[in-house]
Amino acid sequence: MNRIQLDAASVLLPAADGTDRQILRPTTLDLTEQRIAVIGANGSGKSTLLRLVNGLLLPSAGTVTVNGLDTARDGRAVRRQVGFVFTDPLSQLVMPTPLEDLELSLRRLYPSGSKRRTAAMDILDGFGLAPLAQNSIYELSGGERQLVALASVLAVRPGVLVLDEPSTLLDLRNTRLLRERLAGLPQQLLISTHDLELAQDCTRALVIGDGGVVFDGPPADAVARYHQLAR
Amino acid sequence: MRGHAHLIAAYHPGNSVVHRAPLRLKAAFLLVVAVVCFAGAGPFAASGALTAVVVLHFAAQLPAARLWKPIRLMLVFLLLIGAYQFWQSGPLTAWRILAGILATVLAANILTATTPVDRLLDGLARLVAPLRRFGADPERFALTVSLMLRSIPFIIGAFDDVRDAARARGLERNLRARTLPVMICTVAYARQTGEALAARGLGEAEE
Ligand SMILES: Nc1ncnc2c1ncn2[C@@H]1O[C@H](COP(=O)(O)OP(=O)(O)OP(=O)(O)O)[C@@H](O)[C@H]1O
Ligand SMILES: [Mg+2]
Repeated sequence: MNRIQLDAASVLLPAADGTDRQILRPTTLDLTEQRIAVIGANGSGKSTLLRLVNGLLLPSAGTVTVNGLDTARDGRAVRRQVGFVFTDPLSQLVMPTPLEDLELSLRRLYPSGSKRRTAAMDILDGFGLAPLAQNSIYELSGGERQLVALASVLAVRPGVLVLDEPSTLLDLRNTRLLRERLAGLPQQLLISTHDLELAQDCTRALVIGDGGVVFDGPPADAVARYHQLAR
Repeated sequence: MRGHAHLIAAYHPGNSVVHRAPLRLKAAFLLVVAVVCFAGAGPFAASGALTAVVVLHFAAQLPAARLWKPIRLMLVFLLLIGAYQFWQSGPLTAWRILAGILATVLAANILTATTPVDRLLDGLARLVAPLRRFGADPERFALTVSLMLRSIPFIIGAFDDVRDAARARGLERNLRARTLPVMICTVAYARQTGEALAARGLGEAEE
């Protein structure tokens, strides 16, 4: 079982006028569920909370730990356990083709080039992406690209997967495919989303408002609370 | 912003003799061309190197556009150097230097066009492997170098994109409007690449 813990973690960032702005109020959370949704308005602090979990952002005060590893002290070890999927897959893909991008992920697991290539093709095949392996990532559709990004992150075998609005750029069909794909994963998932159906797939939901957690409970109640806030 | 960037320096899949040639042979060829062109060889040697590189380009079944693209991107730079050398030391020297630069850039172009990034990474990692006992991390070195190689076309591409954007607002003569965004894009790109690697736990020192 995976466990993400925030202990009075807060984030202050310098604002344009030279003063510090509190982006996340001191937050304490103990996340052990397999499927956790994070919902809230634009600019409420969802991405900020997510970025804390794999150390892309460090707390200004308090601590964030994943399976007992502190993101500030053991950043490298945390990042090996926590994969992060961005909203825009183009920010995620480093190499020009899906195959090369997968191979990049697999360098540590497979020191031998030929085995690595076979493993990369196997993964792409599992995602139905084998025919596109050598295409330019710029020629893929948004949905295909998001799948490649997901495959590349999963290829490093993280135990925890953090996804920041993974379906925002996708149409209905690709959103459904992504939801099915996510549902089958063994990883612990922490997903921020504006897609309330995706939120309903989870067992626990956090509503973020104004830089803090304003609700924490079952997704159905969280969505109701979110609607109430949006009025 | 990454509109033009991907057109250059990417791997061009194929099965030509050059594609199948071992990486070390291609790297040695690049090295020989660079040495011939910049270690005081005469205009004939430089012309010979340029001819050899162009022949190899087509032997690798790479499209002619791929030959022209880097030249076009460097055109202003080449003209300036050519004009300066012509004025300072005459036509033969100007040609020797231009042919040398072109031959080297195009030889590097052949190397990246016919070698998948993954193989390039392996080759680089192997190259510095002997330095491991002095504390070097070959895997990290290879990643850094290849990301640097990949960022060069990105930056050149960003100039193209920004020029288009400036033109769309009638600002194409404004130097600030054309260079500042490129710097911002470059910094953003470097940050983004760093985050993309961190998202997969890659690119960090091994224990
Ligand atoms: N690097 C930064 N420097 C200063 N302020 C920032 C920075 N990053 C985010 N912010 C601010 O922090 C607040 C929360 O941002 P965050 O990206 O976490 O929101 P979000 O809930 O993910 O929004 P969205 O739904 O639009 O993605 C915003 O007001 C944003 O302007
Ligand atoms: Mg966000």
